[in-house]
Amino acid sequence: MPELIKVRPTKIELVKLKRRLSLAQRVQKIVKDRLSILTMEFLQTARDTVEAKRKLLDESSRLYKALSIAAGYHGYIAMEKELIATEADLKVTAGSRNIAGVRIPSFELIDNGKPMRGYNLVDTSSWLDRAAQLSEESLRAIVELAELQRNFELLAMEINRTKRITNALEYIVIPGLQVTIKYLNMKFEERDREEKARLKRVKVLVARG
Amino acid sequence: MPESLQDEAKQSPYEKMLQDCLRGELRVVNTGLPQSQKRQSKENKLFYLLNEKYPHVVCNDGSTHLFKKSELEYLASMIDADEQKALPLPMLIELGANQSEAAIICEGNIEEKVISKALNMPVTCQEKRIRIYRPQLALLRRKFKTTTVYVFSPKIVA
Repeated sequence: MPELIKVRPTKIELVKLKRRLSLAQRVQKIVKDRLSILTMEFLQTARDTVEAKRKLLDESSRLYKALSIAAGYHGYIAMEKELIATEADLKVTAGSRNIAGVRIPSFELIDNGKPMRGYNLVDTSSWLDRAAQLSEESLRAIVELAELQRNFELLAMEINRTKRITNALEYIVIPGLQVTIKYLNMKFEERDREEKARLKRVKVLVARG
Repeated sequence: MPESLQDEAKQSPYEKMLQDCLRGELRVVNTGLPQSQKRQSKENKLFYLLNEKYPHVVCNDGSTHLFKKSELEYLASMIDADEQKALPLPMLIELGANQSEAAIICEGNIEEKVISKALNMPVTCQEKRIRIYRPQLALLRRKFKTTTVYVFSPKIVA
């Protein structure tokens, strides 16, 4: 049962309450629309996250296979010697974007066109090339997953917050205002009826006198 | 004491908190829009953004909205160079009173071409708006995550 707001039973208060109710209803419309957009984005992000995770797992398993074959072919120590000079800095562009008022991060691996391979191509086999190529793809998948995972968390938090506001509006604020408006209307009607009865009584008394 | 302050003093703390929340909510929804003067300038056209090192636009709240290069390149592959110079980014998706629909605000025919190619179906521009349904909106957002932005139109609250 919605709670009655304590107000003085005057016409001015009634007008104020009606104005407040219309504002609350308009805001509820916006918040509901925002919630539906956030939910749509959240579901899309969830689907993308699952896909990205599966992709990363596939890439990683293929990478480890390729790496073990390369290690078996060259020998672990020889391969490590070749790879020690190939370390390269990763360049990731990090920024942010906005989805219906939620700031979410955006990452992108910078691809400068040349592969991150610095080892000697003469002394190594195509197995190592394959492992290097797969590791680049894995890195791309990791960056993509990092972005999606964070977006997923932020959107979920915002949906929770927005849902609380929607519920508060739908179940507390708007019903409270409606009940109070109804109560005031009934009170004014009652006052009118009393007034009419009083006038009739006065009329009778005047006629008798 | 002014009347508005008297009103606030009479409100219960719970109701006051809700009012603050709602005020914040209204402010927050459109903060991600690009600044109006920037939208008219040529720096936010696809062609010029493609040549930027970090393609971005400045939003209403002063923050930056970063575009993904891969997305810009995908967009560029759909249209020719002249059209790239006329396509403003981000594309604005307006949410109206009808919850099952959304509208893409377009200034020319380029948006129409891009959207129809992305959705793989013909779309028409009427009164500077391309109307699409929610499932199509999800598809569009999946393809253009950073190059589209939501607008909560004042018509919703009217």
